[in-house]
Amino acid sequence: MAEESKKNDEEDIRILAFLCNWCSYAGADLAGVSRFQYPPNVLDVRVMCTGTISPYFVIKAFQEGMDGVLIAGCHIGDCHYLKGNYMTAKRFQVLREALKFLGLEEGRLRLEWVSAAEGEKYADVIRSFTEEVKALGPSPLRGKKAAKAEVGA
Amino acid sequence: MAENNNELSYKLVPSTCVYCGTGCGVLLEVTGNRLSGTLPQKDHPVSRGALCIKGWSVHEFVHSPRRLARPMIRKDGELVETDWETALQAVATGLAGARDEHGPDSVGFFASARCSNEENYLLQKLARAAVGTNNVDHCARL
Amino acid sequence: MSDLKTIVKEKLAGGADAFLCLKNEEGTVLPALITDADSPDLEFVDVGESRYPLGRILIDLQREYPDKRFAVLVRGCDERALIELSKLEQIDLDRLVMVGVACSTEEAEACGCPRPYPGDIALGEKVEAAPGREVIDEVESLGDAERLGWWKEQFSRCIKCYGCRNICPMCFCKDCALENPHLVEPGVIPPDFPSFHIIRALDMTGRCIDCGLCEEACPADIPLRSLYRKMQDIMEDKLEYRAGGSVEEKNPLSFLGTEHDIEKLEQE
Repeated sequence: MAEESKKNDEEDIRILAFLCNWCSYAGADLAGVSRFQYPPNVLDVRVMCTGTISPYFVIKAFQEGMDGVLIAGCHIGDCHYLKGNYMTAKRFQVLREALKFLGLEEGRLRLEWVSAAEGEKYADVIRSFTEEVKALGPSPLRGKKAAKAEVGA
Repeated sequence: MAENNNELSYKLVPSTCVYCGTGCGVLLEVTGNRLSGTLPQKDHPVSRGALCIKGWSVHEFVHSPRRLARPMIRKDGELVETDWETALQAVATGLAGARDEHGPDSVGFFASARCSNEENYLLQKLARAAVGTNNVDHCARL
Repeated sequence: MSDLKTIVKEKLAGGADAFLCLKNEEGTVLPALITDADSPDLEFVDVGESRYPLGRILIDLQREYPDKRFAVLVRGCDERALIELSKLEQIDLDRLVMVGVACSTEEAEACGCPRPYPGDIALGEKVEAAPGREVIDEVESLGDAERLGWWKEQFSRCIKCYGCRNICPMCFCKDCALENPHLVEPGVIPPDFPSFHIIRALDMTGRCIDCGLCEEACPADIPLRSLYRKMQDIMEDKLEYRAGGSVEEKNPLSFLGTEHDIEKLEQE
């Protein structure tokens, strides 16, 4: 990741995407093999189900200087574990409101349902989300940790 | 928990935090025969119901398995258990030797926050009256 | 209306092995466990003005003495805590008798409690109070960047004493996320902004019973209670749940979910 940040320009934004193994990761894969173009600002983390994503993970991502966090999973009703994404939907609402109350721009966190067949949608989501986060600029929480990483490197 | 004698007893003992000179009020929780926790003393005039992290964990060292329960003496670079007689003899010889050779101010005494007020008083008494130095300090000096 | 001393004696005669209440000894109010009617502490039992996390103490007591029955003196907040703790499998309400005491008008107003009385009131008169919303309103009047700055300033005072967690009647985990070095860097004061406080706020969501002990215990006067209160408002608004209500109601974050939750999300 240190190399990644060096490669990117200072102003370049970084997005962390949590993708569920069964739908969205396959959707991202499909976007790749179909050669749909989308911005390279996204780092993927494959999880078995979006229901396994603790709000801590999202907090940690922002703490480490990510400018946006995307959570993408199966459509409601299509969850490999039947109702894992119901849990995600509930947690997400609470987390989004909490971050809003804290003063982090709402646009930096997004939840999307992307199926394994929706390569195009995945590319669209990444395009629009990257644009949105770019408009917001680098995260106000970036500072400290990023500076520390620089010194350490 | 297993070693509890199962006689129902729980009490809170008001005390003063030993870790520094502020003197925050703590309540030590005693469950059965075990010191089990710390609470802040709500109406304490100094700390008014707040504590720092040291105060909150002031009970933890008491039952710590890492606590030294017997005197140890270094033999050939290794710490080995010994009896109090030998240990105190070694300390007395060492301190007296240093004092006689280099003067009383070559010796320093460092008191502990985990000891009682009275024990700390005795330590400075030993330093000033027996050895003859004012080199006394304490880890909780503010 | 009978006094506390009589009630304690009654409960001890009526099958309780011990009564957890408060005593006032020479002006110092502290919790006391009365185990028999001859106890010298009985002379000092008093509702007092200081509050202690009796729920937290009871978790330990019930665990330590699994075959004993306890009675406990509860204010509104203590009762909410015990109800919520029973849903979290930390308190066995079947082995517990609650004796309710309503807070006085001054106490209720000073504390800003949403419900300063328990379900059954054995002592005191029921009064209503309005929870303070000044801090929440102040924060919500600010824009994003100012909000972040506002909280940063508040949290920068944190000395990481863990008092908010330690005093909290709802905090019982053996492994605390706030001590996880991957989430909160050890040895750094003030703690990482905002992860330390937001993690605690998220853990309090659907759990905090608004007793305010955290804010009372905070040496840095961080408006924690308002933060957690806002989290409960979010929980009620989004997931229609408020901690400390009836025993039957289930916390929506404790089970997977219903179509209803999804409909609500999609409305937005």
